[in-house]
Amino acid sequence: MQTNTKILAQEFEYLSPKTIDEALDLLDKYKDKNIKILAGGTDLLVKMKTIDLKIDYLINIKNISELNFVDTNQGLRIGAVTPLSHIIREEKVKMKYSALYEGIMSIAAPAIRNMGTMAGNLGNASPAADTVPPLIAYGAEVKLQGKRGERTVLVEDFIIGVGKTIIKPNELITEINIPQINKNIGSAFLKKSRVKADLSKINLAIYLKREGNICKDCKIVFGSVAIKVLRAEKTENLLKGQIVNSELINKVAEKASCEIKPIDDIRSTAEYRIAMSKEMLKDGFELAWARAKD
Amino acid sequence: MRKIPIEFSINGQEREALVNSNDLLINILRDDLYLTGTKYGCGIGECGACTVFLNNEPILSCLTLAAAVDGKEITTIEGLAKGNELHPMQIAFLKNAAVQCGFCTPGMILTAVALLKENPSPTEEEIKDYMRGNLCRCTGYVQIVKAIKTCAEGGENESI
Amino acid sequence: MLEKKQFDVIGKRFDIKNIGKVTGEEVYSCDVNIPGQLYAVVLRSPYSHAEIKKIDYTEAEKMGAICIGPDDVPDTLYNERIVSIPDKTYRDRTVLPKDKVRHVGEAITACAAETEEKAFTAIKKIKVEWGRKWKPVVTLDDAMDSNASAIYDHVYLGEKKVDVKNNLACERNIAVGDVEEGFKEADIIVDETFNIKRIYHMQLETKSTVCKPEANGGITLWTTTQGIHNVRILLGHIFNISLSKINVKRITLGGSFGSSIQMNSITPICVALALKAKKPVKLVTSREEDMYDHSSYPLKTRLKVGVKKDGTLTAAHCQVWVEIGGHNIQAYPYLGCVAGWFASLYKWKNIKYEGKAIYSNKGPSCARRGYGSPQINFPVENTMDILAEKLGVDPVHFRLQNYVGRGDEFWGQGPTVKSIIRSCGVEEMLVKGVELIGWDKRGNPDEKSGTIRKGIGVARGFHTSGTGGPRAGEVIDYSGATVKINEDGSVDVITALMDHGGGTWDAGAKVVAEVLKVPFEKISIDNGVDTRTTVFDVNTHATRGIYCGCGAIKFVAEKVKEMLLNYAATLFEDRPENLDLALNQELSQGVIYPKGLPENYKTIGEIADHARINSVETFSYTSTLRQKNCPPCFITYFTEVEVDTRTGEITIPRVVMLGDSGTIINPELWKGQILGAYALGLGVGKLESIPYDKVTGKLKCNGFITDFKVPTTIDMPNIDDIIVDHAHTYEPTGPFGAKGIGEAALSAVASSFGNAVYNAIGIRFHELPITPEIMLKALEEKEIGGKVRNAN
Repeated sequence: MQTNTKILAQEFEYLSPKTIDEALDLLDKYKDKNIKILAGGTDLLVKMKTIDLKIDYLINIKNISELNFVDTNQGLRIGAVTPLSHIIREEKVKMKYSALYEGIMSIAAPAIRNMGTMAGNLGNASPAADTVPPLIAYGAEVKLQGKRGERTVLVEDFIIGVGKTIIKPNELITEINIPQINKNIGSAFLKKSRVKADLSKINLAIYLKREGNICKDCKIVFGSVAIKVLRAEKTENLLKGQIVNSELINKVAEKASCEIKPIDDIRSTAEYRIAMSKEMLKDGFELAWARAKD
Repeated sequence: MRKIPIEFSINGQEREALVNSNDLLINILRDDLYLTGTKYGCGIGECGACTVFLNNEPILSCLTLAAAVDGKEITTIEGLAKGNELHPMQIAFLKNAAVQCGFCTPGMILTAVALLKENPSPTEEEIKDYMRGNLCRCTGYVQIVKAIKTCAEGGENESI
Repeated sequence: MLEKKQFDVIGKRFDIKNIGKVTGEEVYSCDVNIPGQLYAVVLRSPYSHAEIKKIDYTEAEKMGAICIGPDDVPDTLYNERIVSIPDKTYRDRTVLPKDKVRHVGEAITACAAETEEKAFTAIKKIKVEWGRKWKPVVTLDDAMDSNASAIYDHVYLGEKKVDVKNNLACERNIAVGDVEEGFKEADIIVDETFNIKRIYHMQLETKSTVCKPEANGGITLWTTTQGIHNVRILLGHIFNISLSKINVKRITLGGSFGSSIQMNSITPICVALALKAKKPVKLVTSREEDMYDHSSYPLKTRLKVGVKKDGTLTAAHCQVWVEIGGHNIQAYPYLGCVAGWFASLYKWKNIKYEGKAIYSNKGPSCARRGYGSPQINFPVENTMDILAEKLGVDPVHFRLQNYVGRGDEFWGQGPTVKSIIRSCGVEEMLVKGVELIGWDKRGNPDEKSGTIRKGIGVARGFHTSGTGGPRAGEVIDYSGATVKINEDGSVDVITALMDHGGGTWDAGAKVVAEVLKVPFEKISIDNGVDTRTTVFDVNTHATRGIYCGCGAIKFVAEKVKEMLLNYAATLFEDRPENLDLALNQELSQGVIYPKGLPENYKTIGEIADHARINSVETFSYTSTLRQKNCPPCFITYFTEVEVDTRTGEITIPRVVMLGDSGTIINPELWKGQILGAYALGLGVGKLESIPYDKVTGKLKCNGFITDFKVPTTIDMPNIDDIIVDHAHTYEPTGPFGAKGIGEAALSAVASSFGNAVYNAIGIRFHELPITPEIMLKALEEKEIGGKVRNAN
């Protein structure tokens, strides 16, 4: 199948709603057609060019101003089409949501971060997405709005496979909600890639709640090691409630490397990913642990 | 496929156009407006050669639909200089031998200008990190980083 | 031996004239637009080796597209690179394949239409009926297997028909002395095999051609090329059009690194479409097409070297194999050059070289910056380190003892081009580099501990400045120029010499400025020239831009100087030898005055205008020049690496880069060449390769650079951690003492990297790239004490 990345060869109808309601109306009107939502375009247009993804209707939601906001009052509320680069400009994100900040900063390059959005990242549901592990680690929720109402789902439950989410055809991602970060919480994001601007070979978000020497709670989330971003729950259980020492961390790292299910692909090998998961767990833990000590 | 009317400003000039839904911004710029400074390098967002400013922020025109720039301001490399007066970043690139074949240069310069807007005194590490999405095969980047650093430090302000 | 020269312009730093490149006004081939042009797209083969039975264009033509297929283009069998003499040029290709395709991505047919989108839709409507399909022959071993499908039955070498057996495209065997005797004399023998894989040039500008058919049946062409005249000659030959009707414009090139020495495969396709459509046609390849179109030559090397206890080399037996893809662009001269790069690095005393080039079902390989030098430098420089270790001597001393240098005979371009080295900075660079990097503190691998291990490696290389020799040989090598003094004292330099961005045009202008004492800003060497207005220049390749290209320009400028002085003499009523020519900065003019009376000057502008007003003449001269030498420009790298043994990642904290180019005409751009090459070499060392799938014959990355990663800003060391310095030499045969640097700069990068890695962790890698995955695995194997990829 010959490609031509100089142009977009597909023919489709382009629609650009200005409000959420308008968008929902369009989703309803064309529900039997092949619709794709355009946010930043950095994933969708690449797919259209490289694997000849066919669509009938392209709905550009980037111009819906109601979906472009960052609200730092209670926790973090991020509008679905807020450019990723705008999210990290918020002082609160840099200071309190380290894993999210680091995750977004690890993405490609500034131009891509200016174009990319959370809606895009979540909707695209790539196992390599860099925003997803931090979101899951923070227990973030995604709000989905349909004509008949809205619902909120944990990001962790939203993505179910490669490119697969539980979004219904008439629904729109409207915002992502991340709970407030209180004291004694630390988080970190790590990533291994061929070059720094690359997709991940493996990435990791860690979220810790610390009480003195005890790890009261934790979330350990790996990307690029399974068909979807993986919460290493068995590994978490080994750590939760335990007194932290280096012996424990080594055990936890070992457990993590067994819990992930990576494959060999063009970016890396399963063997390497497994080896890195250990090192990254140790490094990530150390970082997050230090950050949890206010 | 119906044509879509758009209004946008390009390098400070207001323009109207009738575009196809699948027209890419890079091709409207290069083929219709004859602004060939913006380059096709890979078409998939990996090389940065097609960088332009959209509402003063760098984006990749190879992954941007023309229809999506309706109501927006576009600045290409051609819009950086003020008449005959080169932008300090352009001067810095010339004076620091940061230009060899020149194909990556428009994207590099625009990205660098955006960097200094966001961070007027970047460290070398910050410069390298910000520019990591602009590929160059000729210079090895060192003189480019030096040019950006020099520009940030306020040197090289005379015109050529 | 140094000659201190006081130059007005040479070696001085000027603001680079490339203003168009920073404003977006610089025009590259892909930027050319001709009113009424059609856009062309090429239909490419999805199969690696398949017979074409029939092509049906009906649906495409119904759309209104102009289509061309094998029956619409001439039958001419040619080689797209005509730098070698015809007798030594293998020919195996036609404009479009008539019988079968030989690699995925090979052009089958092409369409032109009013929009690119329409042309792309049209090619998808073309129906190709395929016949027999063969299993792809992808790896070197597959290709050499006696059961491998035959990619060619026969090809032509010059006018001779040559049968192709076992996919052997060509071979080259060279012997000097008697290696067996040499090995007998040796106390230590090292015999190792190394492998350098295919790399994609990833020049930023993809290949393009714009062709405008002219009313007289001729064509005007803008295309990505390193040599406009060869494109013209080839097109004239293929399409049977008089060269006087073909005009190829010289236009800025968006990087090349050797990928446009040959006429690009799309060029005659574009011409055929333009001639058929009777309209201008623009053909710009996509990045994914470009990656199938050309890549570097890989090289597998088995190198056996003998040395005496006292460190004298006694013999070297070098066997190389290279799989070259589906077309033979320049494998024969490649084998010769590889022999030359190998033979001329050290005094081997007795040499045996056996080189084989084998066809495979991959995109054709072509020259990439260094043309085999980086590929063979890696085995040689690794072997030198191995030998030094076995001898218990310092690797730098060992190199100093054995390098081919000043006064030695050298045949860098192959066995038919021998000369004596006249300028050489090798010793200066090794001695200086040792100081600058802190060589003596580098330690031994087994002394090192901790998770982060540092190591320093040295490697040296060279390249010939062009391909000139005492007698014209297998490679055509000459350049020419017209230099013309304008009526105001400014100067036009009209040359077909290309500039890849390394400053060749700047250098040409400086050379003329230095000869004629005209200010640099008043020399134009700009675009706006073409095959019609320029005399022949073979190509800007082989690091010949300065030594050969500017050498020719200097020769012509000297003739113009003579004319100018002769005329000035009539005005001063004196003899030309009693006049002086100097640059007057204040007036921004060259001036001529009687010796001893500088105040009685006339400006060149006045003199030239006098000649005009009196209807006498224009001071202009046109000629070509063949250099009879190709003096080596040398490079030495001292690379420091840092290996993270937990993650396998390698970074470069420091590097010292030393070059010997004789007089350095453009210091900043010279530095830029070396820095740029270093990044390319790092890519070879730790990142780049373009593997093909053995089953489908497709590139594993499908041509998308998503999975062909090249170094970015972050991969280079910080500014303060890089030292670039030069040797103080002067090449007496070069323009103002200058030699080249472009390809020398890449020759030893990966080698210094590999040697540094060994010094850090005690593992020698025989194959590149060293990715973190490979490094980690090797570290684990070493720990376990199992198989160690170590020469010892």
